[in-house]
Amino acid sequence: MNILDILITIIVVTILVTIVLGVITYVAYKLRLARRPSTPKDEADGTWYFERYEPPARRTEATAATREDG
Amino acid sequence: MSGTRRSLGPLLLVLLVTGGTLGFILWAVNSPDQVRVVLIRIVLISLVIFLGILLLRYFTLLWFGFMQHAERDIGERDDVELPPISVIVPAYNEGAVIGAAIESLLALDYPTYEIVVVDDGSRDDTLAAAVGWERDGDVPVRVFSQPNAGKATALNLGIANARYPFVFCMDSDSTVEPDCLRRAVAHMEDPSVGAVAGNVKVINRTSLLTRLQALEYIEGLNMPRRAQGFVAAVNIVPGPVGLFRREALEDVGFYDTDTFAEDADLTLKLIAAGWKIAYEDQAIAWTQAPEHWLDLIQQRYRWTRGILQALRKRKSLFVKPFPDFPLWLSAIEMGFEAVLWPMMNVFAHLFFAVVALLFGMGELLLYWWVLLTLLDLAAALVTVSMEEEQLSLVPLAVIYRFFFILFLDVTKSFASIEELFRFGMGWEKLGRTPVRPAEEGAR
Repeated sequence: MNILDILITIIVVTILVTIVLGVITYVAYKLRLARRPSTPKDEADGTWYFERYEPPARRTEATAATREDG
Repeated sequence: MSGTRRSLGPLLLVLLVTGGTLGFILWAVNSPDQVRVVLIRIVLISLVIFLGILLLRYFTLLWFGFMQHAERDIGERDDVELPPISVIVPAYNEGAVIGAAIESLLALDYPTYEIVVVDDGSRDDTLAAAVGWERDGDVPVRVFSQPNAGKATALNLGIANARYPFVFCMDSDSTVEPDCLRRAVAHMEDPSVGAVAGNVKVINRTSLLTRLQALEYIEGLNMPRRAQGFVAAVNIVPGPVGLFRREALEDVGFYDTDTFAEDADLTLKLIAAGWKIAYEDQAIAWTQAPEHWLDLIQQRYRWTRGILQALRKRKSLFVKPFPDFPLWLSAIEMGFEAVLWPMMNVFAHLFFAVVALLFGMGELLLYWWVLLTLLDLAAALVTVSMEEEQLSLVPLAVIYRFFFILFLDVTKSFASIEELFRFGMGWEKLGRTPVRPAEEGAR
């Protein structure tokens, strides 16, 4: 096997391996996307895991009344 | 699950085309001698045509790039001649790096400018980090916040709150050189110039992957941009460094929000409206390149699909070169570089490698490959010299040709096919680590 044959083999193998690696990486990227948790609908409100706590209206009124008294 | 199934569609199509081609070649190998002779001729003609296109592309880009470099204006302007500029910095989950971006903006050597930061509903401490920089004074820093709505919307909000007639848009993961605005604004002396594209360079050259990207930015991205700059028809004003005339932005209705490549889309709109787009290689922004292979794939996937989305909006243009010839040329060039060329590259490599194996034409493949590598080495040497960059990047052109470009072109091909089938996609955020210019050896 002369030097030309060795070079040719290296080039052919590298081309084929690069293309195969490219395909594998693309599939890995798509799998990573598929396995990623879906984005919560209320992301904009910053409530990712818990329900947003809304204080009862009665307590707000009481606070307002207290302010008026003061 | 359905997403996974859908993502297998393009893969199956590619496997079908590849399998069909390989099947045809195998059939050709076992066919009578006369048929084989004809097929070998077809292979040779294909090889010559591919090389012809390649040589034409390289020499056109290098020649036009050289002309742009030779004719560039490096004259200094007095401060009184320089118009005030609003700098817009959209940010989403960039708490780790936005401080460095604002710091570099405050160090700009420019008489009158303001900084407008727009937090796009970040889930990290971006807003808090940006508010920490808020101030009045010579260089006011103002911070706005919006519910997460995308980069284009954030840019539009920033532009709506900008006070000055020129708008400089940059990415929050980038830093700029002190003379960036001064260099870019010189092109605005021509009232027909609507935007100036700057020169984006990779800052985190800490691994082989990021050094390859540093070379790619110089040779693969800036070389075409420089060549387009010679005819003032740059087809993408890059996100990290772009100066716009506010009047031009108002003329085209600012950024659209329906693509993943808002920079390419806006540039095409400006060209369509008759504005010239200049290139300034001394307006330098340093950006963080992806440090992991999957992140790199993710970025290129988004770029390719975004560019295709911008082109799809103007698909009728492809069959009508007139009267908007500059726009037609820009769109054709954009489509060629982003879609056609990567697909041709993958297919040609695969085709010639298999044919070389089966028809015993290995020597021809070797010479073809050597020619490609020499072309890349020459292009790397010329472009690295023009940008006064690190010469140590030039030898990487061998790996660039041997592996890097072909590897990325596979993903670009898949992304193009997915976009043609209109598969859904989302804006996935890349991970960031803070990098300070002083910490690395990029300069």
